[in-house]
Amino acid sequence: MNVNDLTKRDTERHLLAAVDESENSKRAVMYLADFFGDNKDIFITLLSIIQEPSEDFFPTDAERHKWVKEKKETMEKILAGYRQILLGAGFQENQLETRLSVRQCDSIGDVILEEQEKLRCCIVVVGRRGLTHSEEFIFGSTSNKILHHAKNCAVMVIE
Amino acid sequence: MQTSRSFSRDEICRLIADHGGEERIPPKFNIIIDTSDFFKVEYNDVVLLGDSPYWVKRYEKEGRFGLDDEPKYWVRRAINLLDGSTRILKLVFHEQFETKIGGIVIKCFRSPKKEARILDLVADHPNFMHGHWVQDSAGNVIRILDFIYGMRYDDIIVPYGKDHQDYFYNYFPKVLDQFIEMLAAIKFLHDHGEKHGDIRRDHILWDREREVLRWIDFDYNYLHGESKFSFDLQGLGNILIFLVGRGDVLVADLHNNNKALFDTLWGEDLNISYKNRVANIKKIFPYIPESLNRVLLHFSNGAQIFYDTTGQMLDDLYTARTDILDLTGGRS
Repeated sequence: MNVNDLTKRDTERHLLAAVDESENSKRAVMYLADFFGDNKDIFITLLSIIQEPSEDFFPTDAERHKWVKEKKETMEKILAGYRQILLGAGFQENQLETRLSVRQCDSIGDVILEEQEKLRCCIVVVGRRGLTHSEEFIFGSTSNKILHHAKNCAVMVIE
Repeated sequence: MQTSRSFSRDEICRLIADHGGEERIPPKFNIIIDTSDFFKVEYNDVVLLGDSPYWVKRYEKEGRFGLDDEPKYWVRRAINLLDGSTRILKLVFHEQFETKIGGIVIKCFRSPKKEARILDLVADHPNFMHGHWVQDSAGNVIRILDFIYGMRYDDIIVPYGKDHQDYFYNYFPKVLDQFIEMLAAIKFLHDHGEKHGDIRRDHILWDREREVLRWIDFDYNYLHGESKFSFDLQGLGNILIFLVGRGDVLVADLHNNNKALFDTLWGEDLNISYKNRVANIKKIFPYIPESLNRVLLHFSNGAQIFYDTTGQMLDDLYTARTDILDLTGGRS
């Protein structure tokens, strides 16, 4: 992406859809397809974060690389599938971008918000996992994190 | 790769004799430099690690280090034959498993490298087990731990006082100070980006030589969700509830022994992770200050807000501590 592209984005409604392999992510993508499929001035970045385990999770580096490689391949296929859903709903190729980021992080929500800031997206879209109270206690909630910490953008949480 | 200093069989026999007398020299033993198959490390074998030969003794069991009374075959007590000190050797066991909480799958790992890294980090911190690590000839990260002489902390606490009120007024202020010290120790880890990973009340030992509480066993890691330290916080909350209640306050016990009190409990009063335990301890022991009970309620089923950091929990406990000292006359 060059500077002109970024400038152009300011005139577009740029949505950042943070997705993973879950059903709720698929639901969020389908919602975007239904709701925005006819809009020609919308640009969607499909973003997926793979939380890379630190080196001490695996006996050898080779096993860690294998884990990351397999995870990336799986996610690339899923992103391609999501892209097809949007294309099928009327989006054009030039309205879509996919980003797959593999990184160590303490919080996926923070990484999503970093990407939002970098790309200057006006809306962040996430699917809600539908965690129970105790699951949310133990794992934390990415959608809650985004809801509470997002700045200069709107947040859409798809149930 | 580190190389171990080599010792001849005769040298090792002489060291064993020096240590415990000629009669203790085993008629048969192996000298081991590669511990990859820890099942092959047998009683009386000698493992060469770094500069020292370690004379291997019994397996450790969970309770001190990890399933109740289950032997941990990769954790061995051993004697350093150069100085006679007792050490714990934690050999490499790459256990991986998935655990499910509700619909969420968590990938858990036993991680020798993580524990080794934390041993380096806490080398000067009094509230953690100490030791060092070396690699054996195959590159396995072996942790060589100082042996801690002392009991589990929870076993020490429960007999305090003739009843809960006696415990709370006369012993709990000190117990709370000790817990705050242990919580601050976990904050130290978190501030350095590390999780303890397996915070349970049997992972705190009272070191009777140094007269200090010490966290043990930090080789667990897991792929965390949104909140990196929430498992640790959950463990801390469970320990605090135990300490305030002078043991687990079990719903079944109340049902059997105190129906009137049982009838006052709602689902929201129970522990968020153990639904058979009460978290709202003030309902059971009304003299507990609100400020302390509020901390406990963060770990109840009715909690509307959770702690994100150990710092938040510490701040609330400092407030509670002041109230408890006022209540118990500790500040007069």
